[in-house]
Amino acid sequence: MNRRKNIKRSLLKFGFLVPAIFFFGVSMLIPFLLGIQVSFTSWDGISQKMNYIGLQNYSNIFSNSDILQPIRNTTYFAILITVFNNAFALGLALILNKKFAGNSKFRLIYFIPTCLSTVLACFVWKFLYREVFFQLFGINSLIGSMKTVIPGLVIISLWNGVAINMLIYLSALINVPKNLYDAAKVDGANVFQRFKNVTVPLIGPAFTTCVTLSLTYGLREFSVPMIATGGGPARSSETIAMYIYKHLFEYSKAGYGQAISIVFMVFLLIIGKTVSTIFRKREVEM
Amino acid sequence: MRSERISRIIVFIIAALIAVLFLFPFYICIVTAFKTPMETAQGVLALPSKLHWENFSKALEITNFSRSFLNSLITTTTSVVFIVICSSMCGYIIARNLKKFRYRLCETILLGAMMVPFQVIMIPVYKMLKLSNMMNTLPGLIILLVGTSIPYSTFLYIGFVKLVPRELEEAATIDGSGIYRTYWNIVFPLLKPITATVATLHVMWMWNEFNISLIVLQKEHVKTIPIQQFYFFGEYTTDLNLAFASACIAIIPILIFFIIAQKFLINGLMSGAVKG
Repeated sequence: MNRRKNIKRSLLKFGFLVPAIFFFGVSMLIPFLLGIQVSFTSWDGISQKMNYIGLQNYSNIFSNSDILQPIRNTTYFAILITVFNNAFALGLALILNKKFAGNSKFRLIYFIPTCLSTVLACFVWKFLYREVFFQLFGINSLIGSMKTVIPGLVIISLWNGVAINMLIYLSALINVPKNLYDAAKVDGANVFQRFKNVTVPLIGPAFTTCVTLSLTYGLREFSVPMIATGGGPARSSETIAMYIYKHLFEYSKAGYGQAISIVFMVFLLIIGKTVSTIFRKREVEM
Repeated sequence: MRSERISRIIVFIIAALIAVLFLFPFYICIVTAFKTPMETAQGVLALPSKLHWENFSKALEITNFSRSFLNSLITTTTSVVFIVICSSMCGYIIARNLKKFRYRLCETILLGAMMVPFQVIMIPVYKMLKLSNMMNTLPGLIILLVGTSIPYSTFLYIGFVKLVPRELEEAATIDGSGIYRTYWNIVFPLLKPITATVATLHVMWMWNEFNISLIVLQKEHVKTIPIQQFYFFGEYTTDLNLAFASACIAIIPILIFFIIAQKFLINGLMSGAVKG
């Protein structure tokens, strides 16, 4: 009797998971498993049947020099976005952490670009680069030249997304006890020493979150280069995510693209884990 | 005290300069939307001599705005409702049963899924949609949007439920209320703060979604605003004033929403991100 009641209770509880399992299963779990299968085939993305070719896709990745360019672009983009996003986000958060007139208005203003879609952000900035900067400063579009295209895309991405990390840093800064600053002041520490020895260690968790997030987002970047440049000029802004997309829709080599995406995911997991472990070690307890 | 005041003024000036930099693209966007191509060529910064409202009416017509607006509205509201229902239920039951191995396993799987880049499931998803005839349909898109949003939103709910005391639920159970009734009548209303944050965040994300929509929506009648604009800006770069008028129209709904809901969004991000 009791046993039956327990089973019924477990089933009822399990019912809470059912809707989530349905959506999650259909759109992530099943595709993920299916993807492993696809990566062993020479599927072209169109035909009904798939030929198994074993590990050939995987071994091709290492013999194909075509992939080096997207790897370089992605790494360059991810490093720039991680450094500048965190530097600017922290800078803005430090400004907003000061008490001055209109403080919360500025917080709102800095957040406005973040609510725009990437499509609009890219469109507006393409125009700025091409027409406005040209008329004002006489410089050619940043995203029109192979050398400057990635920094150009980083600027768009920063404008469109820096505010999220800014809020994370700001919430960490607000929680730093004020008396620690006073104590440091009494001990004769100047502004920079206070920042380095009090602020930085105490907002450690925010660093861990923001650096890991911006690095992994930067490595996965798809929409900004896809919309702003389509990977050009001459593939100089093609990222790994775009490279995989093109294997499905342009090169008709879905199986190979899928193999790349799996190797890519493993790399991402390793990098994400390593970076967050390194940062976590440096955190101090409050 | 005087140096304190000076430093405040300096910080204010720096903050204002940055604000100008952040808002400058919007200024360009608005003035260009009201100009003729001739005026734009003469000076990009100048104000328009006369407000050319016809840019807006033409842009509305060419981009088939009402259709894509409706598609965006349907996709966003439906997916956000499902995200809230599914992830709040799932997050609640996981948070309350973390001692049990299978619920801890669920939490671990969701955490792992948050790290999986979309490109890994992109090709199989395309294959599944084609096989099930869900390509170019809004339900197909909605299922994908909900499914890929569940890991993060459930994660936010789990964190919040841990902080909610159990007494009220226990009292309701003793009074003979079933587990589902207790949930919807007692627990769900208690989760209101995090629900507001999850809903606001996802309205913005779903409204602006690009990666998944680009793959699912390839026919005119299902395109959402971002996808419509992606193709529009690709084709009509010759008439920039029209394109900017359409950009302005697309910004308005999300900006209104943002101004109304920014409290939930900003507070939620500030409290959830570091702890979560």
